[in-house]
Amino acid sequence: YDALRRTRGDGNCFYRSFMFSYLEHILETQDKAEVERILKKIEQCKKTLADLGYIEFTFEDFFSIFIDQLESVLQGHESSIGAEELLERTRDQMVSDYVVMFFRFVTSGEIQRRAEFFEPFISGLTNSTVVQFCKASVEPMGEESDHVHIIALSDALGVPIRVMYLDRSSCDAGNISVNHHDFSPEANSSDGAAAAEKPYITLLYRPGHYDILYPK
Amino acid sequence: MEATAKYNRGNPAVKRILQEVKEMQSNPSPDFMAMPLEEDIFEWQFAILGPRDSEFEGGIYHGRIQLPSDYPFKPPSFMLLTPSGRFEIQKKICLSISNYHPEHWQPSWSVRTALVALIAFMPTPGGGALGSLDFKKEDRRALAIKSRETPPKFGSAERQKVIDEIHEQMLSRAPPVPQLLTNETNEETNQLPASDASDEHAHKAVGGVNTAGSNSDSVNNDLPRPDSESEIVQHIVEGRTEGVSNHSRANLSRENIPRVAPTPQNPVVAIQKPKHDRLLTLAAFGLTLAIMALVIKKFFKINGLAGYIEGKF
Repeated sequence: YDALRRTRGDGNCFYRSFMFSYLEHILETQDKAEVERILKKIEQCKKTLADLGYIEFTFEDFFSIFIDQLESVLQGHESSIGAEELLERTRDQMVSDYVVMFFRFVTSGEIQRRAEFFEPFISGLTNSTVVQFCKASVEPMGEESDHVHIIALSDALGVPIRVMYLDRSSCDAGNISVNHHDFSPEANSSDGAAAAEKPYITLLYRPGHYDILYPK
Repeated sequence: MEATAKYNRGNPAVKRILQEVKEMQSNPSPDFMAMPLEEDIFEWQFAILGPRDSEFEGGIYHGRIQLPSDYPFKPPSFMLLTPSGRFEIQKKICLSISNYHPEHWQPSWSVRTALVALIAFMPTPGGGALGSLDFKKEDRRALAIKSRETPPKFGSAERQKVIDEIHEQMLSRAPPVPQLLTNETNEETNQLPASDASDEHAHKAVGGVNTAGSNSDSVNNDLPRPDSESEIVQHIVEGRTEGVSNHSRANLSRENIPRVAPTPQNPVVAIQKPKHDRLLTLAAFGLTLAIMALVIKKFFKINGLAGYIEGKF
């Protein structure tokens, strides 16, 4: 790996890392098809939350601010921004927190939509129901993320994520390799192309924290 | 302040609060009423009706809500102005929805959901929480009757105007304090003290059934009711948030233990066999075993560090 980008360790680091890594990817690739695909996914998530009984005005602000960021990294119109400005934007407390909350809503909606799939993991983790888990561990700001959150966000948006783990599990083997796990929406994706794609978001996990990694 | 408020319309918090004001006005609830001051949109005055089938029934309780500047990421603070026997007046109250517990607050909640939760919290025991009281039922009923007579006096003239306006509208909607029920309750209290608890449980069960019934039967006809009732159901869940958080924390601490446990098991296993043999022959070699254990631990640490260093390259 070439480089590491640190994120603030306040419990929202997974979402912040994902946000910056994804927006930077769009900025570099200018992949308009990907932007259109994810906008459709976002509309689906919005419908899911409405079906689950959330009042729309409580979450539509979060969605619209992320969509603004997404459209502004595409070049060719007045509100386009470069890499420097993207960094400034994501450092803005307000923008950053709104996008983090957007991801939290997307994650919560996905977990509740597929409650039968996630329930065994949640029961083993916290001994509570799916709805209680979402209200206690997903939606509040500052709650740390685990496998369940990563699977749900990856599936909901159709974005593959690779996580490199620097924890004690890699020491037991006695070799110098580092464990990693690819969270791919393969199993549930309706788009065959997205499933086959190599993960373009890579995060480094050390116990209690996520940072962004840049492959060689 | 008006100029400042208008200037800050670009502020997401102001935008969110304006949305809530519109939503409150377009979907009024019979159980509560709330509106912000004209000069400061971050301060609201509210009034709630005492929950039905409780000693607070028929009472009109006023209060103030202070929204933070970074709402909805931080919770508001709540202060009751009408004596109720459940919450102290003119003192911020401690609930899972108030600013005493910012870690429990969720941006998907709103002023409406907070007020529904407040109504639901009234019959619960205070349990010594900040700003909570535990008066007797008779005293609470007396306070409920008294609360209808005059609204509380608080703050500036503009605030008082808003309070009076809210009080008038609540009076026109609210049924009176049930006198007959008071007498019946007194009789029940004298004869069977436990019957009150059973009544409350029965009421909760009936409430649940009503919610399900109304949702299935009148979804199209009565739009406002399903909203408020579903919110009440939400808050039954939300009332358990603290318990869930405690479970989460306990599990987090449990998760840490298994990670540490596998490591010492290996040296322990290695030590036990030679220990068993040598103990039978020479007890004096105990010190040697201790030294071997230390060496093994250092060996594992060196391996770990090597793994980390090479992982970063």
